[in-house]
Amino acid sequence: RAARVRTGKGDKLVTYEQAHPPHYIGHRKGWLSLHTGNLCGEAGAAQRALEDAFLRRFLYGTFPGLLADQVVLRRRGNLLVISALLGRALPPPKLYFLLGYAETLLGHFYKCPVRLELQTVPARVPYKYL
Amino acid sequence: NLMGARLAGSHGDTQEPKINPLVSISDEPETLYKRLSILVKGHDQAVLDSYEYFAVLAAKELGISVEKVDKPPKTIERFTLLKSVHIYKKHRVQYEMRTHYMCLELKYLTSSTAAVYLEYVQRNLPEGVAMEVKKTKIERIPEHIRKPVWDTLPQVEETEVKS
Repeated sequence: RAARVRTGKGDKLVTYEQAHPPHYIGHRKGWLSLHTGNLCGEAGAAQRALEDAFLRRFLYGTFPGLLADQVVLRRRGNLLVISALLGRALPPPKLYFLLGYAETLLGHFYKCPVRLELQTVPARVPYKYL
Repeated sequence: NLMGARLAGSHGDTQEPKINPLVSISDEPETLYKRLSILVKGHDQAVLDSYEYFAVLAAKELGISVEKVDKPPKTIERFTLLKSVHIYKKHRVQYEMRTHYMCLELKYLTSSTAAVYLEYVQRNLPEGVAMEVKKTKIERIPEHIRKPVWDTLPQVEETEVKS
């Protein structure tokens, strides 16, 4: 079954996002990627989905082991806003470098302005332990 | 103590009236719009509700009369796929995509008012979830329909028809 965390011994930390299966989207969960491709009468859903997949993998690799939760992507017109939660393993100068690197590289790659908004969290916020 | 304070811009009558470079004044008559219809689509009804409150408030502040706020019923696009990769035809998975609508109709606008309102409202469109489709109706009577045809034709003398 899709996107469900299997129960274990009780030591596995599960965040709110991971704990809820996909039929709770719109009821208890929000959307991770917001664009107009999936609305009735709108085009471009496949391109957005591909871009989202690439962006998630790229960010997973750019911030190695730092991502606390899934990245939220929002598109306003041409602008792409990426909101990410990071852990505090790296010092701030390195984080700023990675931020600028990711923004310029993605901007040149997708030919659109990219804004990356980072927030550091001391640890992953547990919803329950499975 | 306001004795020595000088207000900014109060240089007396020697200063020329400041012209704002963003405001343009033209003499040609403005096109009038009878009704401006804005349709907003989104996946989340709560987001559309808050956007409706914002748009109606903006229209009231600008002095634009709101004709009505219509909420057409949502459309659900569903499709059924096979749950498994290889066989098991009897076990399927169903996905659906819900699109909520909200139609805002404003009446009696000028083209500049419509431009200002639409620009403000479109710059504050929520990300991704809402999308705008705009239809405008223009009122203008063409010259050749102004007067009835039978008034413009010259008088024709009636001739007797002998059967």
